[in-house]
Amino acid sequence: MSSIWNNCLAKLEHEISASEFSTWIRPLQAVENNENIKLLAPNRFVLDWVKEHHLARLEDTIYEFSNGSLNLLLEIGSKKSPPPATLQKNTRTEAKKSRPNFLNRAFTFENFVEGKSNQLAKAASIQVSENIGKAYNPLLIYGASGLGKTHIMHAIGNAILQKNPAANVVYLHSEKFVQDMVKGLQQNAIHAFKEYYRGVDTLLIDDIQFFAGKERSQEEFFHTFNTLLEKKHQVVLTCDKYPKEIVGLEDRLKSRFGWGLPVAIEPPDLETRAAILMKKAALVGVDLPQEVAFFIGKRIPSNVRDLEGALRRVIANAQFTGREITTEFTKEALHDLISLQDKLVNIDNIQKTVAEYFKIRVADLSSKNRRQSITRPRQIAMCLARELTSHSFPEIGDAFGGRDHTTVINACKRIAALRDSDIKIEEDYLNLLRTLSH
Amino acid sequence: MAEQIPLQFEHRVNKSFDDFYPGNNQQAVDDLKNCIGGTGEQQIYLWGDKGLGKSHLLQASSQLAQSLRKTTFYYAFTAAALPAITLLAGLDEYEVVCFDNIEAIAGNAEWELGFFNFYNRHRDRGFKLILASNCPPHWLQVALPDLKTRLNWGLTIKLKDLPDAERIKALSYKARQMGFDISPNVGRFLLNHYVRDLSALWELLERLDRATLAAKRKLTLPFLKEVLSKHEP
Repeated sequence: MSSIWNNCLAKLEHEISASEFSTWIRPLQAVENNENIKLLAPNRFVLDWVKEHHLARLEDTIYEFSNGSLNLLLEIGSKKSPPPATLQKNTRTEAKKSRPNFLNRAFTFENFVEGKSNQLAKAASIQVSENIGKAYNPLLIYGASGLGKTHIMHAIGNAILQKNPAANVVYLHSEKFVQDMVKGLQQNAIHAFKEYYRGVDTLLIDDIQFFAGKERSQEEFFHTFNTLLEKKHQVVLTCDKYPKEIVGLEDRLKSRFGWGLPVAIEPPDLETRAAILMKKAALVGVDLPQEVAFFIGKRIPSNVRDLEGALRRVIANAQFTGREITTEFTKEALHDLISLQDKLVNIDNIQKTVAEYFKIRVADLSSKNRRQSITRPRQIAMCLARELTSHSFPEIGDAFGGRDHTTVINACKRIAALRDSDIKIEEDYLNLLRTLSH
Repeated sequence: MAEQIPLQFEHRVNKSFDDFYPGNNQQAVDDLKNCIGGTGEQQIYLWGDKGLGKSHLLQASSQLAQSLRKTTFYYAFTAAALPAITLLAGLDEYEVVCFDNIEAIAGNAEWELGFFNFYNRHRDRGFKLILASNCPPHWLQVALPDLKTRLNWGLTIKLKDLPDAERIKALSYKARQMGFDISPNVGRFLLNHYVRDLSALWELLERLDRATLAAKRKLTLPFLKEVLSKHEP
């Protein structure tokens, strides 16, 4: 950093309020030569604010410390950022200018925890990484936010590069595609944009739902997509829902996205959640007891990011206090999160949600009624209570009209078997799980 | 003798980690320092009541980043008026970005999407993001699920409230930085008879600073009562 600018900062810090200084002065990056000191603002917004509110003070201060020898220039820009720590450079050929592929090395198949909810997606992804452009093209992975779609997508790219470091693999978020296209149009460089994206061997595009409503981007992506498929290059896409359900996405794109293999990632079941927690803990050198993993997994049933956030907090607290990670310690570390979950997910709430879903009365769930239209929702509600709350089998039985705990155990076994054999039951169960977990 | 009129320095207290009285929030300080230093988390979300020092800690983080020659940006949102979304342009290239009062963007579709896009670009670069709010991330009324899960992703730290004994120490600590002393006796009186809300106490400190400077007097109990009687809260 410029020494004159350092002196200026030291002075300005005492003249301007701490908040103003932190927001508008500290972010400015100084580039100095014999005649000028150029201050770079990250964007027009900051630049305009600085000009309007701090220009005179900046000029005076720079004049003072440079003895009037430097002129002040204010511009938008940035000194070159250091290369991102986790991203790899694509070194396809020496001749070609190397471009970042934006793959995160940390996301691999090896550290992707497989469970019933994601095993199909993982198997298909491995197939794709081993048979580029041949196995499933496009591979479309869809599911709610925070379930591991991005992880598996990076894993595909990393596996391809591991086998063939010269492969031209590019990962990007759909918004980056839109941004690059807009930039290409603005800078009269749309041809370079097209050439770049249509020239990759494997294109991994995350969150395609954000193409919705952006007609020009959809059109450009449509052509990119067609070119890549014609060349038998691989396309992998992720989406938060089945593409046919996206409002604002052209029909021709929806149809093409369905050409290959669409695979869903569902919320992980309890065992998978516990396994994810133990794996993530092991990655940072922490041996997480199984009972603690199940405790957290049971309390945080929604998605992997929430699980990771909770785990981070437990580990940070343990490291700070030097205490052993036990269930009791975890309860303390996550008490605010747990009390919120308890408020949201309790047996009453589960019964209410299940009754509404199946259009029956809450009282039916506790009644002696043995019609299948009532017993099935009752069994599902019992099973959900077991999965989402920390109540024991007898407590759950009590809450359902004073039933014996063996009735609850049987209900859980019955629903587990039906989820494997009956798609409708599986769908109902997952819908309810999602509703209760968010 | 006429009162000396002191110069008005708004928020003269430096917002560095050294100037922060950690009390029972030392863990938050350590986690933030590790994050900025490069050995800790990539994302930290601080939350807690007003007056506990969230803004101070974010500005201290930004200052530490600068001292480590990292590019840094700090911005405090206000619920009353969100800035233009262009504020986010180019910020993904900043190594340490701190956003205060992040709850202000919840429910605003343009800001939620803009912030989500910034978040992805910034995170992909491996850079550090520090957020502060009045509530935990899962309480935010964020409509975009993709953003909501990301806000829960990092390390969430609740700033703990200070018990009275710690509040008195914090008052004395802050006063010393401003150049005057508050005895435990005066501190206790303030908490018992004036106000316990920390942000109101910090504002009062600035008034007391000016009053002691103008009168060239120490802050004794009688003088404190005199100052307070001139302007009741």
